[in-house]
Amino acid sequence: MKESQDIESATVQLSPVLETTGLPGLPDSKERRYDRQLRLWAASGQSALESAHILVLGASPTSTSILKNLVLPGIGAFTILDDGVVEGKDLGANFFLETDSLGKNKAEEAIKHLGELNDSVAAHAETRALESILDDDPTYLHKFSLIIAENIPQRILERVTALLWDSSTGAGDGDADADASQTVAPPLIVVRTSGFLADFGIQLKEHSIITTHSDSAASLRIDKPFPSLLAHAFSLNFDKMDVTDHGHIPFVVILVRVLQEWKNDHAGKAPSTYAEKQEFKQRIVKMKKKDDEENFDEAVAQAYKAWTNTIVPSEIEALFNDPSTKNLTANSDPFYHLVHALQIYTSQPPHTLPLSATLPDMKSDTKSYIHLQRLYKEQAAEDKARFTDILRGIEAGAAGAGGGGSVALGMVDDFVKNAHALRLIRGKKWTGLTDDVEALTLAREMAPAAVATHLSLSALYAFEGKNGRLPKPGDGADREEMTAWVKARLTATGWAPEPEPEDSAMTGADEEEEEPMPKEITLWEHVTNAVGEVSRAPAAELPTTAALMGGMVAQEVIKVITKQYIPIDGVCAVDLASSTTGTVKV
Amino acid sequence: MSVAVEAPPAANGASSSSPQYPDQYYYVDQILDRPGPRTDEAFSAGDPVKSFLREQCKILVIGAGGLGCEILANLALMGFKDIHVIDMDTIDISNLNRQFLFRPKDVGQPKATVAAEFIMKRVPGVKVTPYYGKIQDKDDDYYMQFNIVICGLDSVEARRWINATLVNLVDPENPESLKPLIDGGTEGFKGQSRVIFPTISSCYECSLDMLNKPTAFPICTIANTPRLPEHCIEWASVLEWPKVHADKKMDTDDPEHISWLYKVASKRAKEFKIEGVTWQLTQGVVKNIIPAIASTNAIIAASCCNEAFKIATTAAPFLNNYWMLIGTDGVYSYTFEHEKKSDCPVCGGETMDVEVGKGWTIERLIEWLTENQKIQIKKPSLSLGTKPIYFQAPPQLEESTRPNLEKKVHELIPEGGEVTVTASTLPFTLTLRLAFV
Repeated sequence: MKESQDIESATVQLSPVLETTGLPGLPDSKERRYDRQLRLWAASGQSALESAHILVLGASPTSTSILKNLVLPGIGAFTILDDGVVEGKDLGANFFLETDSLGKNKAEEAIKHLGELNDSVAAHAETRALESILDDDPTYLHKFSLIIAENIPQRILERVTALLWDSSTGAGDGDADADASQTVAPPLIVVRTSGFLADFGIQLKEHSIITTHSDSAASLRIDKPFPSLLAHAFSLNFDKMDVTDHGHIPFVVILVRVLQEWKNDHAGKAPSTYAEKQEFKQRIVKMKKKDDEENFDEAVAQAYKAWTNTIVPSEIEALFNDPSTKNLTANSDPFYHLVHALQIYTSQPPHTLPLSATLPDMKSDTKSYIHLQRLYKEQAAEDKARFTDILRGIEAGAAGAGGGGSVALGMVDDFVKNAHALRLIRGKKWTGLTDDVEALTLAREMAPAAVATHLSLSALYAFEGKNGRLPKPGDGADREEMTAWVKARLTATGWAPEPEPEDSAMTGADEEEEEPMPKEITLWEHVTNAVGEVSRAPAAELPTTAALMGGMVAQEVIKVITKQYIPIDGVCAVDLASSTTGTVKV
Repeated sequence: MSVAVEAPPAANGASSSSPQYPDQYYYVDQILDRPGPRTDEAFSAGDPVKSFLREQCKILVIGAGGLGCEILANLALMGFKDIHVIDMDTIDISNLNRQFLFRPKDVGQPKATVAAEFIMKRVPGVKVTPYYGKIQDKDDDYYMQFNIVICGLDSVEARRWINATLVNLVDPENPESLKPLIDGGTEGFKGQSRVIFPTISSCYECSLDMLNKPTAFPICTIANTPRLPEHCIEWASVLEWPKVHADKKMDTDDPEHISWLYKVASKRAKEFKIEGVTWQLTQGVVKNIIPAIASTNAIIAASCCNEAFKIATTAAPFLNNYWMLIGTDGVYSYTFEHEKKSDCPVCGGETMDVEVGKGWTIERLIEWLTENQKIQIKKPSLSLGTKPIYFQAPPQLEESTRPNLEKKVHELIPEGGEVTVTASTLPFTLTLRLAFV
């Protein structure tokens, strides 16, 4: 295409400034185009996106909004499945259809306008009916990396969810013996919208994330200093240092030193009471040679690190006991081999996770800081080597048992670096009708508004399933039927309508304790609002709702495909009348 | 509050509210034909609300970038038909990963113009009027013509300017002068949208202290004790560039300028054994690049337009007044009312009490004003009543008031004295009441 040639020729720019420096040259055209996103998920995330093929069931306004947000960052390929024909109402709400599209196949028209957003993305239309594919060619769905279903009738949706869930054997099923025939069906995202309301959930068996981009930092091991750090802290003679050097001792070194000295005076124990902690901080303050030594101020501010125990976090401990780690086989996902290796690693002294090589910036001079950074890097490399040895041992054992491969080094690097922030999500089958009583009981207590939105959308689907038609907009009888459906679901969880407030404030002046609080909206009021909103415009694909869901679902797709950041665990319910969202595990 | 809707009925015929083809507004009409459970009583279902939205409502979009492209498309589909858009930028290749109204052939063209043309081509019946230039080029009369203003900006300064302008526009005698301002912003997987009713609810200036402090490295770290690659890059751009290039201005959009900084920073990093200087990091630091993706822009723009639609139609209650979203760990969002500040320099009207050290000079007071998170005035000018204390401009006045900089505050201003602070870049006035401690 001409356009892409233009970018290519525009980008093969040499940089005279860099020519003789031996430095790598300017970023290429792709790096420049994707610069703002590569800063979020790096080349590894980008290459995962470029290998993905997404299937979207239905060319609705929400579907094309989702795809727009995936085509732009450069997903590999997408397919829209739709056997319908473009009508005026589709056109009016869908930015990716044109007046010319009227009367033509929806999928074919939509891919035309989505494809032009990015030449490097392959766009396909599938014009067969979904039901005929489910009847005649069910393995078709397994070709894709991820499938999105928006506003698919319950009857057909149930066939899709069953096909993808039941054919997928997650390692967590405990059927480890069957792993020769193990298939992993693509994750399915189910999206439902109705006027101002919407929800979505991801059906996937399990999803392990190494690069979570967690905000929590790895331990600096001040309480359990590695030998070279401890030796370094005691090799410095604080008293004899000149004022400049003294004012540049990194706070890590100060804390390691003060803590060790403290422990020597306190039978090996770190400060634990408030008084002790204050005394500990005073020790640091007293070490100052000048009032304005910021490194000592930093040490005081970070002193809590001295009495924070570096242990294996409980969430990571939980991974050790996960069935997939327990029932490890040669064909298990590499993640579980890594977790198992980590379990063995942490069972050995000093019973910590491998050290992170990342040292935050701190008040110091170049020499002291770079030296400290080198100590961390060297120890981290040593820890990683010990970890890798354990891992290779496990792999060798597995190979002896007739399988196994070797986890790529890059993945080992990432795993060790993020060992404190690993995440595992186990999903459940999407039922959409919220029949898990136990989960619903918990959710209605935790997030009543989100539950009301979710249930009212479920009621809409149930209505359509039962009556073979959508409720009539604003129709009282249809609304009552949906309300009754929601009430039955809630009643099954032991819920009873809140008694009407008996105007106690008016009659009884003696109830002083609870009254002054602003009145909270009850679950039932949320339900009345949500069902009322659904009844107002049951099938309305409001462009702003479609656009918002397009963004939210695309974020989730990106997180699932790149295996970076953390996708939702449950159902996210969106109410654009009240401008709120909530996530519930139902 | 239904300020925007209290407009006179259609003056001439109803032709432009009719769709361009059957069912164009099929879905939106379902919402407008009847109220929902939370709809305000002022809602006039059916033709009245449709005719206001499609024939009378005039909306201004500031910014035609990542958020702006999305906002324009949403507004057009929701049935806003008289849309204006301002943007001073031209299209860059790095915009194409999210600004979906632009194609490679458009690189170098003004964003506002290209975006307006695209929308009008794709959505029949919508008029989009572009302006390629700065928001500061336009006067009060220009802003007075709109019912609603939506901002999709990446600049704090531009937001402060439009916020202060719209607050100043409010005339208590004229309800039409109250222009709801909807503001969106994103960073990576995170973002926020908010609704501001100037002088009535918390304004942009009221929440200045919620902004993250920009990362500024102390000059002594840059000059003497670099530890991070960023320190080496700052050294190249802040200290070396002016030294080597004298008065030649650095253009952060010129790849060769970035390459030069990259080369110089790399050399320094090598000297100090610091790892991690790359071309991209160099560009990121000197341009203060914020990661941006289409999906987050889509969420925030949709939220802004949803609020604009609710304000214009009263079809449902609008956001009161702040919605923030974090998409890095699941989907977390928080809706809350940000409180109006009675001593806000823009909309508060109240005097701000300030404690001033006895030894403070006027210069120190000015420094405090520029650094304070709540105020953040770039170049403040001070006066006591009509008497100038220090003025940044014009040059003659600056020169005549300059000697005051070194004087002690209490020599010029009495205890409890009220100092008027103005800024050349922002249309607002702040009054400080000084107490000496």
